[in-house]
Amino acid sequence: MQKAFLYLLILSCFFTACDDDDNMVVIDTPATYAFERDGSSTVSFSGQTTRIQMGEALISALKDFGESKERLLEMYANETADGSDANPFEDAALNASTKSIRSKVAASADYFAANTVDAARIKGDFTQWIEAQVDEVFPNQNELAEAGKAGQIADGTSVRYINASGLEYNQAVNKGLIGALMLDQMLNNYLSPAVLDAGENLANNDAGITEDEKAYTSMEHKWDEAYGYLYGTASDSANPNATLGADDSFLNKYLSRVEDDADFAGIATTVYDAFKKGRAAIVAGAYDIRDEQADIIREKLSEVIAIRAVYYLQQAKLAFENGSTGSAFHDLSEGYGFIYSLQFTRRPGSNTPYFTLEDVDNFIANLMDDGPNGFWDVEASTLDAIAETIAAEFDFTVAQAKE
Amino acid sequence: MYMKENLITMKRLFFLALLSLTFACGDDEQPGGGNEPVDNFDRQEMLFNWADNFIIPGYTALAEKTNTLKEAGASFSETPDATNYTNLVSAWEDAYLHFQDVSMFEIGKAEELRLTNNLNIYPTDVDALNNNVLEGDYNLELPSQIATQGFPALDYLLFGIADGQDALIEFYQTDANADAYLQYLKALTLRIDSLIQAVLADWTDTYRDEFVNNTGNAATASVDKLVNDYIFYYERHLRAGKIGIPAGVFSGSALPQNVEGLYSKDKSKALLNRALDAVQAFFNGTHTTGNSNTESLKSYLDYLEIQKDGQNLSTIINNQFEAARTTASELDDNFSTQVENDNTKMLATYDQLQLNVVPLKVDMLQAFNINVDFVDADGD
Repeated sequence: MQKAFLYLLILSCFFTACDDDDNMVVIDTPATYAFERDGSSTVSFSGQTTRIQMGEALISALKDFGESKERLLEMYANETADGSDANPFEDAALNASTKSIRSKVAASADYFAANTVDAARIKGDFTQWIEAQVDEVFPNQNELAEAGKAGQIADGTSVRYINASGLEYNQAVNKGLIGALMLDQMLNNYLSPAVLDAGENLANNDAGITEDEKAYTSMEHKWDEAYGYLYGTASDSANPNATLGADDSFLNKYLSRVEDDADFAGIATTVYDAFKKGRAAIVAGAYDIRDEQADIIREKLSEVIAIRAVYYLQQAKLAFENGSTGSAFHDLSEGYGFIYSLQFTRRPGSNTPYFTLEDVDNFIANLMDDGPNGFWDVEASTLDAIAETIAAEFDFTVAQAKE
Repeated sequence: MYMKENLITMKRLFFLALLSLTFACGDDEQPGGGNEPVDNFDRQEMLFNWADNFIIPGYTALAEKTNTLKEAGASFSETPDATNYTNLVSAWEDAYLHFQDVSMFEIGKAEELRLTNNLNIYPTDVDALNNNVLEGDYNLELPSQIATQGFPALDYLLFGIADGQDALIEFYQTDANADAYLQYLKALTLRIDSLIQAVLADWTDTYRDEFVNNTGNAATASVDKLVNDYIFYYERHLRAGKIGIPAGVFSGSALPQNVEGLYSKDKSKALLNRALDAVQAFFNGTHTTGNSNTESLKSYLDYLEIQKDGQNLSTIINNQFEAARTTASELDDNFSTQVENDNTKMLATYDQLQLNVVPLKVDMLQAFNINVDFVDADGD
């Protein structure tokens, strides 16, 4: 009985595998993300690498009690409060850069070009978290936290520094940037036809006309910039899955975490393959295939954010059951950032996120308002309700995401 | 090119199909097979045995030792001479050994007070400790202070602050900051004792009854919780803390400064052996109190007739404890020296300890229908 089923399964695989043959365009997808024109590499995403590195410096400095508010804000904006040049980083190359985190937070063409109200609000959320870390948490470095009072709390042998509601602002910034910077720039900007096909990009790409003194066409470069927000700090950026998870504290890390859950194994390959095939499709001028791959990336990376949001809500519930308040708050702080990031997800084939800014505000309000002291008062039923609501919009269950 | 891609997809699907076949067949090899007996084991008998013959006697004995430690600490800080030093060292060693008997029971008050993290985190953060002493303004209850207190911090103060007993006593008699160090040493012994007394008092006042009456099979039931604590302790504090971390299993390079008993130099092995004896005795339920209850993890497994590879799982687990003990017997008393001179023996001991993780954490928990309630931390 089992054998017969297996043969059927294998047979059906053959049929599925042969379905695509009708397609006329030949896409030459290479084994790794390496593309050349006249012997020169056409792949470039140095600006994305720079922003990931700035993000790393910022989230690390947020845990350094010697830092000033001024310097932390300069790391966020890479300029002074009055807009002149700043040198807040240890790394001279980052100081020399004209790029910044803030300029690309909530800054995608599709979501924010004509929505500067929300963009300003979101950029301001990060400013507010950074300021509150210095104003509320830093002064209480050597205080025991309690309901309504900022300070330290134990999480196993680790120490977490939380605000009066139990939130670690550094986690809100770290996990919030995954959505507001990385995901938004990728899914809603560089993978979008509004950017890929802007100006003369289509005609130039068809004709193989490259940017001035560059080996790549504008369209190729835009696609690479999306790639760079995920793999820009990989030691071998053409073959980044070899070190996935070890290369940054942002999307790279959490794609790896989801990949490590047996329920979602294969997702890292799916995303990488879609990037490769989409880029190869640009070389071949096959824009429909390019956009199909963009939709695969949008779906899968949106899923990563949602899976991690649900995961942390469920882990927090478990930690509360075990009496590990500090672990629960840490999970909730990470979850807070992932929930915040949901507003930057993208439903494939649409111009909308799975959850809007308003939805996210409601989730966070629910998380914080079971009592006067935020996480100190949150109930298991609230954590379950938010997790269920998130999972219901995706192709996975709470049970699959929770371990 | 296009065909090539299809071929790869096809191969992948074929592999998936094979994989699903493997999974489909996997179930048959579970311990117990398909005809497990109905679980009517009297869990409460086991809880009685644990509470009355292991946990409460263990804390009672330890509390006597920490009381002695507290008094010896007070005497030495009053009069730092050779006699008081010898008494203090002996009280410290005695209490440290007895602590190995109960460190696995991180439940109830011990869990609330984070007992093991406050009493036995090593290596000691010597810079932070010195800072505490010299600034004088410290709060040992802060989670950021776990590496400046407990038995390892006393190890530093009693053996590491100067070289040899004479130099040490001289330090405490003549150093410009001697009094500050003596006050700190006394504060550490006081805190160790007060934490242990608080845990013991909670057990004898109220928690014992709550513990033995919480008999179900749920995440919050006593058996499920304590078995999780037991396995967590075995994995993290015994296997990793005492052997794996200093041997470099988790870091790639050996960390000889991370051994338990770094400064006293000759205590690491005695502490390991005591801990190993304690976890095995708890597994078997063998005690010396004279009470009649004997139900244990072992008798529970035997009741369920759990076998693996044609052998009783309980026998496999006991054999593996023995194998670890035999391998560990090759180690030097000083694990720091052992790591530096012949780390292979440390790694071999780690391997033997590791070999019991699957029988305990996977096979045994599955037999008892207990879920693991701890996960590997994210690392951030």
